[in-house]
Amino acid sequence: MEIAIQHGPGNAAAKVQLGPGESCTAEGGAMIAMSGDMAIETTTHKKGSGGIGKALKRMLSGESFFLNHFTAGANGGELWLATTLAGDMMQTELNQENLVVQGGSFVACDPRVNIDMGFQGFKSLVAKEGIFWLHLNGSGKVIVNSYGAIYPVEVDGEYIVDTGHIVAFNDTLGFKLSKAGKSWMSSFLGGEGFVCRFAGKGTVWCQSHNSTSFGRALGPMLRPR
Amino acid sequence: MNNETPAHVPTPSPTMPSPPTPSPGKKGFDFHIDGQPDFALLTVNLPANETLKVEASAMASMDTNMVMKTKMRGGLGRLVTRESIFINEFTAGGGPAEMKIAPGAPGDLSHVHLDGNTIFLQNSAFVASGMDVAVETKWQGIKKGFFSGESLFLIRCSGHGDLWFNTYGALIEMDVTDDYVVDTGYIVAFTEGLSYDVTRVGGYKSLFLSGEGLVCRFRGEGKVWIQTRQVPALRSWVWPFRRAKKKG
Repeated sequence: MEIAIQHGPGNAAAKVQLGPGESCTAEGGAMIAMSGDMAIETTTHKKGSGGIGKALKRMLSGESFFLNHFTAGANGGELWLATTLAGDMMQTELNQENLVVQGGSFVACDPRVNIDMGFQGFKSLVAKEGIFWLHLNGSGKVIVNSYGAIYPVEVDGEYIVDTGHIVAFNDTLGFKLSKAGKSWMSSFLGGEGFVCRFAGKGTVWCQSHNSTSFGRALGPMLRPR
Repeated sequence: MNNETPAHVPTPSPTMPSPPTPSPGKKGFDFHIDGQPDFALLTVNLPANETLKVEASAMASMDTNMVMKTKMRGGLGRLVTRESIFINEFTAGGGPAEMKIAPGAPGDLSHVHLDGNTIFLQNSAFVASGMDVAVETKWQGIKKGFFSGESLFLIRCSGHGDLWFNTYGALIEMDVTDDYVVDTGYIVAFTEGLSYDVTRVGGYKSLFLSGEGLVCRFRGEGKVWIQTRQVPALRSWVWPFRRAKKKG
């Protein structure tokens, strides 16, 4: 599985080259083009097993309810993946590690990588943005996307990221949801609301823009529903 | 006036006609494309009394000796698709003239020089062409059109001369040698001679649940251009952010 991210940071698409019989698991709707002999299987979870509960959880996370498993034919094949909004993509490789991905940022992964949903509990329900995070673990390549540019931050100690700007982070990092300012009043009036306070050692990948803010800027200009 | 430019202001692209994208074989008009791939802008230098067809409202700026005429095009098909039924013709009057053209959606631009061959464009992809390129709206038929979820019509460009078309998002050019599958919403253009069929992507479960819907399966030898974003998907994404209507 060879991944090449092209046309970033504005309009990134991922070209995934698969060897004969090799597979790739992608978020529903992410495929834009592929070789003619690519086989596709739609499941609610990991290839070969379909837990409806897990799919329901994934739907709540803002990801598509279903995952597509693409398998190349006898001569191998290629698969192009893209997202709805303008922005970049990033690939990373897990080596018996865990990666937490913000709901909505997951694009695709090696089928050997497990996708599970972590429920962050009441504290994140309140946060509204990024309530659910996908927990990826195992070994293999992973593709995530961002709204806007993507930038890594090596955390050693403590670091604060707005919940709407998190793309993914190593689960070696602990985190706490808290307010950005000294008081709740200033946090909300300042438009920052909830932030995630990371602690420990690891990488957080952030996105330069917050898609929810963009949606809120556009929404009032549309015909009311 | 202060001539010092602040560091954060991007330097404007030079307007001198230094073509980074040379026209193949000097056949067509002298042109270049700046700002690729996110904000492609086409500059065409027209010799005196030459005319260019340009999609309505795509002209960004031009020399003052350029004369514009508005023509009807495509007839009923364009009305149905809610595309503009007008196409503008710009003529360099009295001497050479330069014009800059950019379509509504931010993205990339591509150029082909037609030599009797034919290219099909997705409904909103047409940007500009020479006068000897016939631009027609073609009914795709119910199966290929309606079920593609996009438009019932394609634009058929044939004849001789330059043709420019645009994308929303980046542009990917693909050589099809056997068969290739493209999500219908991402097709920008394809060469005549490729056969195509709108089909489901996998089994019936995939048809309804995969999120991929129907795809276009191209067969034969030719080229397909695809885009990395699509406008209807953005619209669906932003839809839930609308205000709620007041009751009563």
